[in-house]
Amino acid sequence: MDDRVLLRVIDLVKHYGDVRAVDGVSFEAWSASVFTLLGPNGAGKTTTLEILEGIREPDSGEIEVFGVRLKRITRAVKERMGVLLQDGGFEPYLKVREILRLFASFFENPVPIDEVLSQVALTDKAGSLVRTLSGGQKQRLAVGAALINDPKLVFLDEPTTGLDPQARRNMWSVIEGLKDRGKTLILTTHYMEEAEALADWVCIMDHGEIIAQGTPRKLTQDFGEETMIEFRGDDLPPEALERLRACCKDYRVDGAAITMETEDLPTTMESLFAWSREQGVRLRNLIVRQPNLEDVFLSLTGRRLRE
Amino acid sequence: MKEVLLLALTHVVTAIRERVTLFWFLVFPVFMLVLLSLIFGQIGQEGEIHFDIALIDRDAGGSDPAGFASMIVSVFEGLAKPQAAGQEPLFTVHRPDQGEDPEAFLDRELTALRRGRLAAVVVIPPDFDAAVLRGMGPSPGGDAEPAKLHVYMSRTSVASGMAAEIIGQVLSEIDREILARSGRFDPTAGVRTETVWLGQSDEETSYVDFLLPGIVLMGFFTTGLFGVPGAILFNRDRKVLRRYWVTPLSVPRFLAGFSLGHLALCALQFTILFLLGRYALGATISFARPEAFLTLLLAAVTFMAFGFLIASLARTANAGMATANVLNMPMMFLSGMFFPVAGLPTFLMAIVYANPVSYLVNGLRTSVGVESGSFSSGLVIGVPLGWIALSVLVAARKLKWDVER
Repeated sequence: MDDRVLLRVIDLVKHYGDVRAVDGVSFEAWSASVFTLLGPNGAGKTTTLEILEGIREPDSGEIEVFGVRLKRITRAVKERMGVLLQDGGFEPYLKVREILRLFASFFENPVPIDEVLSQVALTDKAGSLVRTLSGGQKQRLAVGAALINDPKLVFLDEPTTGLDPQARRNMWSVIEGLKDRGKTLILTTHYMEEAEALADWVCIMDHGEIIAQGTPRKLTQDFGEETMIEFRGDDLPPEALERLRACCKDYRVDGAAITMETEDLPTTMESLFAWSREQGVRLRNLIVRQPNLEDVFLSLTGRRLRE
Repeated sequence: MKEVLLLALTHVVTAIRERVTLFWFLVFPVFMLVLLSLIFGQIGQEGEIHFDIALIDRDAGGSDPAGFASMIVSVFEGLAKPQAAGQEPLFTVHRPDQGEDPEAFLDRELTALRRGRLAAVVVIPPDFDAAVLRGMGPSPGGDAEPAKLHVYMSRTSVASGMAAEIIGQVLSEIDREILARSGRFDPTAGVRTETVWLGQSDEETSYVDFLLPGIVLMGFFTTGLFGVPGAILFNRDRKVLRRYWVTPLSVPRFLAGFSLGHLALCALQFTILFLLGRYALGATISFARPEAFLTLLLAAVTFMAFGFLIASLARTANAGMATANVLNMPMMFLSGMFFPVAGLPTFLMAIVYANPVSYLVNGLRTSVGVESGSFSSGLVIGVPLGWIALSVLVAARKLKWDVER
């Protein structure tokens, strides 16, 4: 066994009635890395994480964590892991310090409260009631509660859902900081850009199964040699769109956004400009980019991540 | 152990900081204790009762100082004087002014009665003395109309209802006097009554003494009925509990902390109500008896268990609160907490007998000496224990500690 593997999931299965929410999921996560489960809502990411967090029991499969093979997560494992729930709440009438003191009491070797407050930049808010905190501050408190035992393994379930762009960037910094401190982070997200920015390894999930996994670079490289061209074209008639097909390998329309795939960028660009003049279409917001994880997911499932 | 104490502290602190919980936990019982003491607390304290009544003597013979109408007038006037030095008189008797038209006076006083400013209007009709004398004749059962006094009461006035009883007693005394004068009744013979007040204590107890144990249990009851499902279900639905379950904290330890916190809240509630009752409202009863302490503890645990029963059967926090609301009033009012329940219709008595509150209220009042035991101590302990057992059984099988998928 690879010494660097901190968590190994082997053929995990979980049913809800007739629905196979998790259908034979297997993966490995290494020390001091960010492992990401990427997929749309209902893909089985959260159920997988809930099994690993000890909230639910699997129907079958095994979990190997900290070198021990288990059927379900034990209290001893929980001593060494931290969990940031997707939308977990706090008692609104407790103060920030009181919450952290309470959570510290659940563990055998907690970190001093002031140290955690400083880590999550809530020292000034230590005496504030939870109900008076902003969304970003509440999420930082949740991170603080998850780090109170200085865990080796940290689960982050959709950590930036519902946050404004600034708070999301702050959370990304926190996650990068944790990775730098040697933590192993298991992250779920349905934001493609989040996975690309943070993940060392990505598992793409759909309908309870892992449909692809690898580093973000490898996954997009495996997608092919295509280059993506995007522009905005409002109210294009069907004939105009049909003529566009001749310009590229494939294209897709998502509202006003048109994305073209090409293996021959110069020829496609020339054809696109000619089409633009011919149809009288302004190529607004035109960009040329490499394929991303959204393109990979789309090509694998025919659906977008956030559909 | 530290986590158990901190969870208990958390439960107490959040209950005090949250206004809705604080209302049910503290403001409501304090309000009820003060309000009910102020409304009913003066009843039974001799000399403190006071009624305004109007008395009109329309009997021409009333000027005869030896006549029966004069006797009635003098009795009421006697009641309008203080019964002992330093005491308020029982009645203030309104009489028509000199030369005032009795009809106009009657109209005015009846209006005052309707508006609640008077407790009763007593009218001695014309020829009252003559009617009494006719009734005292050798064949009273003949054509003679019995003598009648007209007493007007208000159905909507509490004072009127209470005055009715006293006036009834006064009139029966007068009746005895009339019968004695007619020679048909020997006031020294026959049955005499002597009122004996039943209770375990010889000490003087007031309404506040009777009320205080009931209000303490009401506080425990609402704290258990609303506080437990509220704290468990709202925290479950907001995933506060889930945060606990991803740590090494176990459900039994959480329960230990929660229960300890709940009992601490009840202790705090009891202390505040006891101090208020004792030092502001003049209660004299003592709870410093082992049986009183054990009944209080049993009550706090029973109502907490009842809260868990509701939390087990309700799918959401709102459903839990609605269930608690539905059970709250019938369980409180059909327990003898505020008024005696003996003599209720059979179907309501069935609720009284199934209701654990009934046994605990009676048990607590008995243990502090303000009521005699209606139930055996076996029932006082057994019925609540039965409810605790049922609640624990249902909670163990049905209570969901985490949101369902």
